[in-house]
Amino acid sequence: MAIVFGIFLTAMHGNEVLSHIVYKPGTAAVQDIPINCREDELIEEGLSFTECNLMGTTVKNVIVSSPDWFRNFHITLSAVGAVIAIISIVMGILLLDFRAWIVKPAVLVFGSLLVIDMISFLAIVNTGPLLRAMYLWDTLLWALIHVVLMSATMAGQHLNSD
Amino acid sequence: MQRPGYSRTAIIMHWLMAISIFFLFISSWWMLSLPLPSEDYKYRVLPFQLHKNIGITLIFVLGLLLYVRWIHRPAPVEPTAMTPAMHKLAAANHVVLYLTIFVCCLSGYLSSAHSGWTTTLWWVLDLPDWGEESEELNILFSDIHLWTCWILLALVAAHISGAIYHAFRRDGLVRRMIRW
Repeated sequence: MAIVFGIFLTAMHGNEVLSHIVYKPGTAAVQDIPINCREDELIEEGLSFTECNLMGTTVKNVIVSSPDWFRNFHITLSAVGAVIAIISIVMGILLLDFRAWIVKPAVLVFGSLLVIDMISFLAIVNTGPLLRAMYLWDTLLWALIHVVLMSATMAGQHLNSD
Repeated sequence: MQRPGYSRTAIIMHWLMAISIFFLFISSWWMLSLPLPSEDYKYRVLPFQLHKNIGITLIFVLGLLLYVRWIHRPAPVEPTAMTPAMHKLAAANHVVLYLTIFVCCLSGYLSSAHSGWTTTLWWVLDLPDWGEESEELNILFSDIHLWTCWILLALVAAHISGAIYHAFRRDGLVRRMIRW
Protein backbone atom coordinates (compact mmCIF):
# COMPACT_ATOMS: atom_id res chain seq x y z
CA MET A 1 0.00 0.00 0.00
CA ALA A 2 2.94 2.32 0.78
CA ILE A 3 4.14 1.90 -2.80
CA VAL A 4 0.75 2.81 -4.29
CA PHE A 5 0.28 5.80 -1.97
CA GLY A 6 3.88 6.89 -2.66
CA ILE A 7 3.16 6.96 -6.40
CA PHE A 8 -0.06 8.95 -5.91
CA LEU A 9 1.68 11.39 -3.55
CA THR A 10 4.67 11.95 -5.84
CA ALA A 11 2.30 12.72 -8.72
CA MET A 12 0.17 14.98 -6.53
CA HIS A 13 3.07 16.97 -5.07
CA GLY A 14 4.59 17.29 -8.56
CA ASN A 15 1.34 18.80 -9.80
CA GLU A 16 1.17 21.14 -6.81
CA VAL A 17 4.63 22.49 -7.67
CA LEU A 18 3.59 22.95 -11.30
CA SER A 19 0.25 24.60 -10.53
CA HIS A 20 1.77 27.14 -8.13
CA ILE A 21 4.49 27.99 -10.66
CA VAL A 22 1.67 28.71 -13.14
CA TYR A 23 -0.54 30.70 -10.70
CA LYS A 24 1.66 33.80 -10.75
CA PRO A 25 0.57 36.89 -8.80
CA GLY A 26 -0.28 39.94 -10.89
CA THR A 27 -1.12 37.96 -14.04
CA ALA A 28 -4.14 38.33 -16.35
CA ALA A 29 -6.70 36.48 -14.19
CA VAL A 30 -6.20 38.91 -11.29
CA GLN A 31 -6.36 41.94 -13.60
CA ASP A 32 -9.83 40.84 -14.79
CA ILE A 33 -8.78 40.92 -18.44
CA PRO A 34 -11.61 39.31 -20.46
CA ILE A 35 -10.88 35.74 -21.63
CA ASN A 36 -10.89 35.24 -25.38
CA CYS A 37 -13.67 32.60 -25.71
CA ARG A 38 -13.53 31.73 -29.41
CA GLU A 39 -16.41 29.65 -30.67
CA ASP A 40 -14.18 27.01 -32.32
CA GLU A 41 -12.28 26.50 -29.05
CA LEU A 42 -15.53 26.24 -27.09
CA ILE A 43 -16.69 23.45 -29.43
CA GLU A 44 -13.28 21.74 -29.26
CA GLU A 45 -13.25 21.71 -25.46
CA GLY A 46 -16.99 21.15 -25.00
CA LEU A 47 -17.40 24.38 -23.02
CA SER A 48 -20.26 26.84 -22.69
CA PHE A 49 -19.54 30.55 -23.03
CA THR A 50 -20.31 31.07 -19.33
CA GLU A 51 -17.94 28.26 -18.30
CA CYS A 52 -15.18 29.71 -20.48
CA ASN A 53 -15.56 33.12 -18.86
CA LEU A 54 -15.37 31.58 -15.40
CA MET A 55 -12.16 29.64 -16.11
CA GLY A 56 -10.01 32.44 -14.78
CA THR A 57 -11.73 32.31 -11.39
CA THR A 58 -9.83 29.23 -10.09
CA VAL A 59 -6.53 30.92 -10.83
CA LYS A 60 -7.81 34.20 -9.41
CA ASN A 61 -9.14 32.49 -6.27
CA VAL A 62 -5.76 30.87 -5.56
CA ILE A 63 -3.75 34.05 -6.18
CA VAL A 64 -6.10 36.36 -4.29
CA SER A 65 -6.47 33.98 -1.35
CA SER A 66 -2.70 33.40 -0.98
CA PRO A 67 -0.69 35.56 1.40
CA ASP A 68 2.65 36.81 -0.01
CA TRP A 69 4.65 34.03 1.65
CA PHE A 70 2.35 31.19 0.60
CA ARG A 71 3.33 30.58 -3.05
CA ASN A 72 7.06 30.01 -2.52
CA PHE A 73 6.42 28.20 0.74
CA HIS A 74 3.95 25.81 -0.88
CA ILE A 75 6.20 25.18 -3.90
CA THR A 76 9.15 24.35 -1.60
CA LEU A 77 7.04 22.16 0.69
CA SER A 78 5.54 20.27 -2.27
CA ALA A 79 8.96 19.77 -3.88
CA VAL A 80 10.35 18.34 -0.63
CA GLY A 81 7.18 16.25 -0.30
CA ALA A 82 7.67 14.84 -3.82
CA VAL A 83 11.25 13.78 -3.03
CA ILE A 84 10.26 12.10 0.26
CA ALA A 85 7.28 10.47 -1.49
CA ILE A 86 9.72 8.84 -3.95
CA ILE A 87 11.77 7.60 -0.96
CA SER A 88 8.54 6.23 0.56
CA ILE A 89 8.05 4.11 -2.59
CA VAL A 90 11.48 2.59 -1.95
CA MET A 91 10.50 2.02 1.69
CA GLY A 92 7.31 0.29 0.57
CA ILE A 93 9.38 -2.00 -1.64
CA LEU A 94 11.78 -2.80 1.21
CA LEU A 95 8.90 -3.45 3.61
CA LEU A 96 7.67 -6.34 1.47
CA ASP A 97 10.69 -8.28 2.74
CA PHE A 98 10.15 -7.29 6.36
CA ARG A 99 13.39 -7.00 8.32
CA ALA A 100 13.94 -5.38 11.73
CA TRP A 101 16.41 -2.76 10.43
CA ILE A 102 13.90 -1.32 7.96
CA VAL A 103 11.46 -0.19 10.67
CA LYS A 104 13.40 2.91 11.80
CA PRO A 105 14.05 4.39 8.34
CA ALA A 106 10.48 3.57 7.22
CA VAL A 107 8.95 5.23 10.29
CA LEU A 108 11.27 8.21 9.71
CA VAL A 109 10.14 8.55 6.09
CA PHE A 110 6.39 8.14 6.82
CA GLY A 111 6.84 10.43 9.83
CA SER A 112 8.50 13.07 7.61
CA LEU A 113 5.56 12.89 5.21
CA LEU A 114 3.21 13.31 8.18
CA VAL A 115 5.19 16.37 9.35
CA ILE A 116 4.91 17.84 5.83
CA ASP A 117 1.14 17.24 5.89
CA MET A 118 0.89 18.94 9.27
CA ILE A 119 3.00 21.94 8.23
CA SER A 120 0.96 22.20 5.05
CA PHE A 121 -2.28 21.99 7.07
CA LEU A 122 -1.17 24.76 9.42
CA ALA A 123 0.01 26.93 6.51
CA ILE A 124 -3.32 26.54 4.70
CA VAL A 125 -5.26 27.32 7.88
CA ASN A 126 -3.45 30.66 7.84
CA THR A 127 -4.55 31.53 4.29
CA GLY A 128 -7.97 32.63 3.06
CA PRO A 129 -11.22 30.61 3.05
CA LEU A 130 -10.96 29.86 -0.67
CA LEU A 131 -7.65 28.00 -0.26
CA ARG A 132 -8.87 26.29 2.89
CA ALA A 133 -11.86 24.96 0.94
CA MET A 134 -9.54 23.66 -1.79
CA TYR A 135 -6.82 22.03 0.27
CA LEU A 136 -7.67 21.31 3.92
CA TRP A 137 -9.66 18.09 3.53
CA ASP A 138 -7.13 16.52 1.10
CA THR A 139 -4.28 17.39 3.42
CA LEU A 140 -6.07 15.89 6.39
CA LEU A 141 -6.72 12.64 4.47
CA TRP A 142 -3.05 12.36 3.52
CA ALA A 143 -2.06 12.97 7.15
CA LEU A 144 -4.39 10.12 8.16
CA ILE A 145 -2.87 7.82 5.51
CA HIS A 146 0.63 8.58 6.79
CA VAL A 147 -0.41 7.96 10.41
CA VAL A 148 -1.81 4.57 9.32
CA LEU A 149 1.37 3.68 7.39
CA MET A 150 3.58 4.69 10.31
CA SER A 151 1.49 2.74 12.83
CA ALA A 152 1.31 -0.32 10.56
CA THR A 153 5.10 -0.33 10.16
CA MET A 154 5.59 -0.20 13.92
CA ALA A 155 2.92 -2.85 14.50
CA GLY A 156 4.56 -5.05 11.85
CA GLN A 157 7.78 -5.01 13.84
CA HIS A 158 5.99 -6.40 16.90
CA LEU A 159 4.11 -9.02 14.87
CA ASN A 160 7.34 -10.23 13.28
CA SER A 161 9.20 -10.37 16.61
CA ASP A 162 6.42 -12.48 18.25
CA MET B 1 19.00 -20.26 -14.92
CA GLN B 2 16.32 -17.65 -15.47
CA ARG B 3 16.13 -14.66 -13.12
CA PRO B 4 13.02 -15.09 -10.92
CA GLY B 5 11.94 -11.46 -11.35
CA TYR B 6 12.05 -8.81 -14.03
CA SER B 7 15.33 -7.11 -14.97
CA ARG B 8 16.45 -3.94 -13.18
CA THR B 9 15.82 -1.81 -16.26
CA ALA B 10 12.29 -3.20 -16.58
CA ILE B 11 11.64 -2.52 -12.90
CA ILE B 12 12.89 1.08 -13.11
CA MET B 13 10.88 1.70 -16.30
CA HIS B 14 7.75 0.21 -14.70
CA TRP B 15 7.83 2.46 -11.62
CA LEU B 16 8.83 5.51 -13.67
CA MET B 17 5.83 4.91 -15.90
CA ALA B 18 3.56 4.49 -12.89
CA ILE B 19 4.53 7.90 -11.47
CA SER B 20 4.37 9.55 -14.90
CA ILE B 21 0.91 8.17 -15.70
CA PHE B 22 -0.58 9.46 -12.45
CA PHE B 23 1.20 12.79 -12.89
CA LEU B 24 -0.37 13.06 -16.36
CA PHE B 25 -3.85 12.14 -15.13
CA ILE B 26 -3.80 14.69 -12.32
CA SER B 27 -2.28 17.41 -14.50
CA SER B 28 -4.84 16.83 -17.26
CA TRP B 29 -7.70 17.36 -14.80
CA TRP B 30 -6.57 20.73 -13.48
CA MET B 31 -4.84 22.18 -16.54
CA LEU B 32 -8.02 21.94 -18.62
CA SER B 33 -9.68 24.25 -16.09
CA LEU B 34 -7.14 26.96 -16.86
CA PRO B 35 -8.32 29.90 -19.03
CA LEU B 36 -8.18 29.41 -22.80
CA PRO B 37 -4.88 30.70 -24.19
CA SER B 38 -4.52 34.18 -25.68
CA GLU B 39 -2.03 37.08 -25.72
CA ASP B 40 -2.79 37.82 -22.06
CA TYR B 41 -3.65 34.36 -20.77
CA LYS B 42 -0.57 32.15 -20.88
CA TYR B 43 -1.37 29.86 -17.93
CA ARG B 44 -1.72 26.79 -20.15
CA VAL B 45 1.66 27.04 -21.89
CA LEU B 46 3.89 25.37 -19.29
CA PRO B 47 1.50 22.63 -18.07
CA PHE B 48 0.50 21.63 -21.62
CA GLN B 49 4.11 21.58 -22.82
CA LEU B 50 5.17 19.49 -19.82
CA HIS B 51 2.15 17.18 -20.28
CA LYS B 52 3.15 16.61 -23.92
CA ASN B 53 6.83 16.12 -23.03
CA ILE B 54 6.08 13.45 -20.43
CA GLY B 55 3.46 11.77 -22.65
CA ILE B 56 5.77 11.53 -25.67
CA THR B 57 8.67 10.33 -23.48
CA LEU B 58 6.32 7.67 -22.11
CA ILE B 59 6.04 6.14 -25.62
CA PHE B 60 9.84 5.67 -25.69
CA VAL B 61 9.92 4.38 -22.11
CA LEU B 62 7.16 1.89 -22.98
CA GLY B 63 9.13 0.77 -26.04
CA LEU B 64 12.24 0.28 -23.91
CA LEU B 65 10.26 -1.63 -21.26
CA LEU B 66 8.80 -3.99 -23.87
CA TYR B 67 12.21 -4.52 -25.45
CA VAL B 68 13.84 -5.28 -22.09
CA ARG B 69 10.98 -7.63 -21.16
CA TRP B 70 11.42 -9.37 -24.49
CA ILE B 71 15.14 -10.03 -24.11
CA HIS B 72 15.12 -10.73 -20.33
CA ARG B 73 12.14 -12.95 -19.67
CA PRO B 74 11.61 -13.80 -16.01
CA ALA B 75 11.02 -17.38 -14.86
CA PRO B 76 7.38 -18.54 -15.22
CA VAL B 77 4.95 -17.75 -12.39
CA GLU B 78 4.62 -20.41 -9.69
CA PRO B 79 1.48 -22.49 -10.42
CA THR B 80 0.29 -21.93 -6.84
CA ALA B 81 0.28 -18.14 -7.33
CA MET B 82 -2.29 -18.10 -10.11
CA THR B 83 -4.96 -20.28 -11.62
CA PRO B 84 -4.73 -20.67 -15.43
CA ALA B 85 -7.78 -18.44 -15.83
CA MET B 86 -6.22 -15.70 -13.69
CA HIS B 87 -3.00 -16.02 -15.64
CA LYS B 88 -4.87 -15.47 -18.92
CA LEU B 89 -6.75 -12.51 -17.46
CA ALA B 90 -3.50 -10.93 -16.20
CA ALA B 91 -1.80 -11.46 -19.56
CA ALA B 92 -4.76 -9.89 -21.37
CA ASN B 93 -4.75 -6.95 -18.96
CA HIS B 94 -1.04 -6.35 -19.63
CA VAL B 95 -1.41 -6.48 -23.41
CA VAL B 96 -4.40 -4.11 -23.43
CA LEU B 97 -2.68 -1.89 -20.86
CA TYR B 98 0.45 -1.45 -23.00
CA LEU B 99 -1.64 -0.90 -26.12
CA THR B 100 -3.80 1.69 -24.37
CA ILE B 101 -0.79 3.59 -23.03
CA PHE B 102 0.63 3.70 -26.55
CA VAL B 103 -2.62 4.84 -28.21
CA CYS B 104 -3.36 7.32 -25.44
CA CYS B 105 0.06 9.00 -25.71
CA LEU B 106 0.21 8.91 -29.50
CA SER B 107 -3.31 10.32 -29.96
CA GLY B 108 -2.48 13.15 -27.56
CA TYR B 109 0.55 14.08 -29.63
CA LEU B 110 -1.35 13.76 -32.94
CA SER B 111 -4.16 15.92 -31.59
CA SER B 112 -1.62 18.57 -30.67
CA ALA B 113 0.17 18.20 -34.02
CA HIS B 114 -3.06 19.14 -35.83
CA SER B 115 -3.98 21.95 -33.45
CA GLY B 116 -1.51 24.49 -34.77
CA TRP B 117 0.51 24.42 -31.53
CA THR B 118 4.09 23.28 -32.02
CA THR B 119 5.66 20.61 -29.83
CA THR B 120 9.25 21.09 -28.70
CA LEU B 121 10.27 17.94 -26.87
CA TRP B 122 11.73 18.97 -23.51
CA TRP B 123 12.22 22.49 -24.93
CA VAL B 124 15.05 21.15 -27.13
CA LEU B 125 13.80 19.09 -30.07
CA ASP B 126 11.18 20.49 -32.48
CA LEU B 127 8.82 17.68 -33.46
CA PRO B 128 7.24 17.72 -36.92
CA ASP B 129 3.59 18.65 -37.46
CA TRP B 130 1.92 15.74 -39.24
CA GLY B 131 0.00 17.77 -41.77
CA GLU B 132 -1.75 21.09 -41.78
CA GLU B 133 -3.70 22.57 -38.92
CA SER B 134 -7.02 20.74 -38.95
CA GLU B 135 -9.86 21.31 -36.54
CA GLU B 136 -11.52 18.00 -37.47
CA LEU B 137 -8.41 15.87 -36.98
CA ASN B 138 -7.57 17.73 -33.80
CA ILE B 139 -11.01 16.92 -32.36
CA LEU B 140 -10.88 13.31 -33.63
CA PHE B 141 -7.50 12.59 -31.99
CA SER B 142 -8.52 14.56 -28.93
CA ASP B 143 -11.59 12.31 -28.53
CA ILE B 144 -9.45 9.18 -29.00
CA HIS B 145 -7.02 10.58 -26.41
CA LEU B 146 -9.84 11.25 -23.95
CA TRP B 147 -11.51 7.84 -24.22
CA THR B 148 -8.34 5.74 -24.29
CA CYS B 149 -7.15 7.59 -21.18
CA TRP B 150 -10.40 6.77 -19.34
CA ILE B 151 -9.96 3.12 -20.40
CA LEU B 152 -6.34 3.31 -19.24
CA LEU B 153 -7.45 4.54 -15.82
CA ALA B 154 -9.81 1.55 -15.49
CA LEU B 155 -7.05 -0.87 -16.58
CA VAL B 156 -4.55 0.68 -14.16
CA ALA B 157 -7.12 0.29 -11.37
CA ALA B 158 -7.50 -3.40 -12.28
CA HIS B 159 -3.69 -3.76 -12.45
CA ILE B 160 -3.22 -2.19 -8.99
CA SER B 161 -6.07 -4.27 -7.52
CA GLY B 162 -4.42 -7.43 -8.83
CA ALA B 163 -1.03 -6.39 -7.42
CA ILE B 164 -2.50 -5.64 -3.98
CA TYR B 165 -4.39 -8.97 -4.01
CA HIS B 166 -1.15 -10.86 -4.69
CA ALA B 167 0.80 -8.75 -2.17
CA PHE B 168 -1.66 -9.70 0.59
CA ARG B 169 -1.53 -13.35 -0.50
CA ARG B 170 2.29 -13.21 -0.28
CA ASP B 171 2.53 -15.54 -3.26
CA GLY B 172 5.76 -13.97 -4.54
CA LEU B 173 4.21 -12.47 -7.65
CA VAL B 174 4.61 -8.81 -6.67
CA ARG B 175 8.23 -9.43 -5.70
CA ARG B 176 9.01 -10.07 -9.35
CA MET B 177 8.59 -6.34 -10.00
CA ILE B 178 10.40 -5.08 -6.90
CA ARG B 179 13.40 -7.36 -6.43
CA TRP B 180 16.78 -5.81 -7.00
